[in-house]
Amino acid sequence: MKLRLQITKESGIRFISHLEYQRSIEKAIRRAGIPVAYSEGFNPHMKFSLASALSVGVTSSCEFAEIRLAEERPLSELVKALAAALPMGIHIVRADLAEDKAPKLMAQAQGASYEVHVPCASDPASQLAAFAAAPEVPYTKAHKKGKGKPKTIDVKSFIPQVEARWQDGSLELRFDIRITPTGSMKASEFLQVLEQDFQVPLAFSQADIRRVDLYSRDGEGRKIPLIGEA
Amino acid sequence: MRKDLPIDILSAVEKPARYTGMEFGSIVKPESETEVAFCLAFPDTYEIGMSYLGYKILYEILNKLSGVAAERAFAPWVDMEEKMRERGLVLSSLENTRPLKEFDLLGFTLLYEMSYSNILNMLDLGGVPLLAKDRTLDDPFVCAGGCCVFNSEPLADFLDFCMLGDGERIIQEVTLLYRDWEREGKPGGRLGFLRRVSRIQGVYVPSFYEITYGEDGTITGKKPLEPTASEVVYKRAEQDLDALDFPTHPIVPYSDTVHDRIMLELFRGCSRGCRFCNAGIIYRPVRERRPGTVLELAKKLVPATGYNEISLFSLSTADYSHLEPLIRELLGDFRKDRVSVSLLSLRIDSFSVKLAQEVQAVRKSGLTFAPEAGSQRMRDVINKGVTEDDLMHAVGAAFENGWSQVKLYFMIGLPTETDEDVLAIAKLAQKVQWKYKEVTGHMGARVTVSVSNFVPKPYTPFQWVGQDTKEEFDRKHMLLKNAFANLKNIHFQYHDSRTSLMEGVLARGDRRLGKAIYLAWQRGAKFDSWSEFFDYDRWKQAVEDAGLTTDFYNSRPRGKEEIFPWEHTSCGVSRQFLWSEYEKAQEAALTHDCRRDTCTGCGVCQKLGIHIIDWKEGKA
Repeated sequence: MKLRLQITKESGIRFISHLEYQRSIEKAIRRAGIPVAYSEGFNPHMKFSLASALSVGVTSSCEFAEIRLAEERPLSELVKALAAALPMGIHIVRADLAEDKAPKLMAQAQGASYEVHVPCASDPASQLAAFAAAPEVPYTKAHKKGKGKPKTIDVKSFIPQVEARWQDGSLELRFDIRITPTGSMKASEFLQVLEQDFQVPLAFSQADIRRVDLYSRDGEGRKIPLIGEA
Repeated sequence: MRKDLPIDILSAVEKPARYTGMEFGSIVKPESETEVAFCLAFPDTYEIGMSYLGYKILYEILNKLSGVAAERAFAPWVDMEEKMRERGLVLSSLENTRPLKEFDLLGFTLLYEMSYSNILNMLDLGGVPLLAKDRTLDDPFVCAGGCCVFNSEPLADFLDFCMLGDGERIIQEVTLLYRDWEREGKPGGRLGFLRRVSRIQGVYVPSFYEITYGEDGTITGKKPLEPTASEVVYKRAEQDLDALDFPTHPIVPYSDTVHDRIMLELFRGCSRGCRFCNAGIIYRPVRERRPGTVLELAKKLVPATGYNEISLFSLSTADYSHLEPLIRELLGDFRKDRVSVSLLSLRIDSFSVKLAQEVQAVRKSGLTFAPEAGSQRMRDVINKGVTEDDLMHAVGAAFENGWSQVKLYFMIGLPTETDEDVLAIAKLAQKVQWKYKEVTGHMGARVTVSVSNFVPKPYTPFQWVGQDTKEEFDRKHMLLKNAFANLKNIHFQYHDSRTSLMEGVLARGDRRLGKAIYLAWQRGAKFDSWSEFFDYDRWKQAVEDAGLTTDFYNSRPRGKEEIFPWEHTSCGVSRQFLWSEYEKAQEAALTHDCRRDTCTGCGVCQKLGIHIIDWKEGKA
């Protein structure tokens, strides 16, 4: 069996890296005494994985973890033990138990929802209308450390629409980003597109970005949660 | 967490997680339950501070006291400091975002001299007046502990008091004394508290002493100015480590620290008697934890932290009386949890190699040995007690067991050193290579030679000697560079002489250097132990502008009878013992380890009323 969890990365720890976040959960799993399975070999590692790396600085209420178990235990017992062992800033939202052969959660994720709060000098309604009207918005992803070819993508194919509310210099954005087998886009990249290509006067460095959902879709395109309710 | 640091600052600095806290095991007490707020300040980065066991011990011990909140603060990296100064942010604790100036007690860990400028910088960023004499009842008492408090004189202007020796009990006593003084309405003001605290054994109040100097700049006298100030303040030494609290729920950092694992202390003190070593004197006598206590602690620490590595550590870990059975038991008990055991220091013998083999069953990273000197004569001068045969046996055993990488540590600039002694370092490294050929039948051992520059330290037999000058160090580096240029597969690295020279000034400095430290800080000194920030010329100029010279402190040989700046804060080892060791060094005569042999007369046990605890024979 594997224990599947929806967990948070809250504001106070938003600046720890993905690797640090992952190691912190591994330590919590050991503290909790979860009967986790290990790989064979000289340097056995814990059979544990996190779906979808989150950018540093972004909070999330929907990180997903899968822990392969060496022994069966009731779900409630596992959740209780782990909840007590997690550091401040990480909480369990949902959990379930699945067969070992259940597909990886990451492979099922088809989209993520974001909420952004950012200072913005003026109401960007007209600029956002321009974004909505544009049939295509090209964006060139710079490669890490300048290696490899830059890749140009169409922002609209990932983010078809944006909901916005502006009041007294503060802008609130809500949008979904598609996750496809060939890639996705970061919320921060989208903010850069709005700032640079659409002249939205937002204070990019002060943006408070939150990932609020990570979901799959059913045959009719409706959002469905990645794991069942606890 | 720090509530004062906005997103745009955190996303613009390196390693932002250093500033956000909230780690598992961190303790955040509400204001309503806090009577005394104690800031444990570490004058270097988060990653370094969080790796020190002593820091973790004090954090847990203080937080155990009800009504006492111990919180942490570290030196912000330069990028963060720039942002803080730009926006007028005050340096605050990780736990409650409490500005340093609002704490009752502010304690710095003094582990190396080159962190002193960071202390001033942290006080300044924390809104605390730098000079003790300028502080008012609204300011914290600034104190210090750690190995450098055995000569805290260069910091005398900045510190209200120091705590000498084992910190577990003294820090609690000081904190509770503060609480009582505050409850009584702070009678007598700051002076009232300092008078009271100076009665605690091991507490030193620099402002209670007047130092006089002669025309040649040396000290002519020291006078206690207060009746509560004793002529000599002796360190605190705890007899029974088993009876002391050891942190069983330490903070588990999110980010990688230097030692991100369980640190388990086996014993304090080391009496091997290496004559250059300050730690080998100031932590005497040897006091072991019982093997049973160590096992018990390990059993608590593994489930409490979630770490899968235990590092057994002490000044000379391989000297622990029950090391082998202990390691076996630890490996056995934690096999199913996949917990590994590591040793922080290896002795130069095949026993140590065998242990290393046992603990690192798979990973053959490198082994590190510290012969300290290249020639036998030189090793005898420093009382290292290691022969070339010992080293060859040790590396031979390592090569037989599959290691091919060896790192060797040496020092240059030791007393009585000749060029022949220096060049012997290269010869010894080459013999290690040959040994590999002899054992494995082919070349290809990777040998790294790391050479540091000797800094004479207070409370060592070499406290009288003059340090090599820059020219001497640089010349010796060149000698070695040329010698190694012809040797393949030996990687030679050495430390810059200028940092060692300034360390030499501060290590044996007196309180007149306070002015120099202040000037250096004012002109931008910080993170001096990081080569990218250390500026020798700035420091040298600061020393000169304070009306002093660096030569007086580092390269000048000192007279037999000279009064040293640090001797009124004592670790209990007698001056006569250190002098006789100094004389024996001149003759390259050895002194044995008293741990399992007769007393060598250093005087610490008699002076402090304690004794060695070693479980070799099952008895203390």
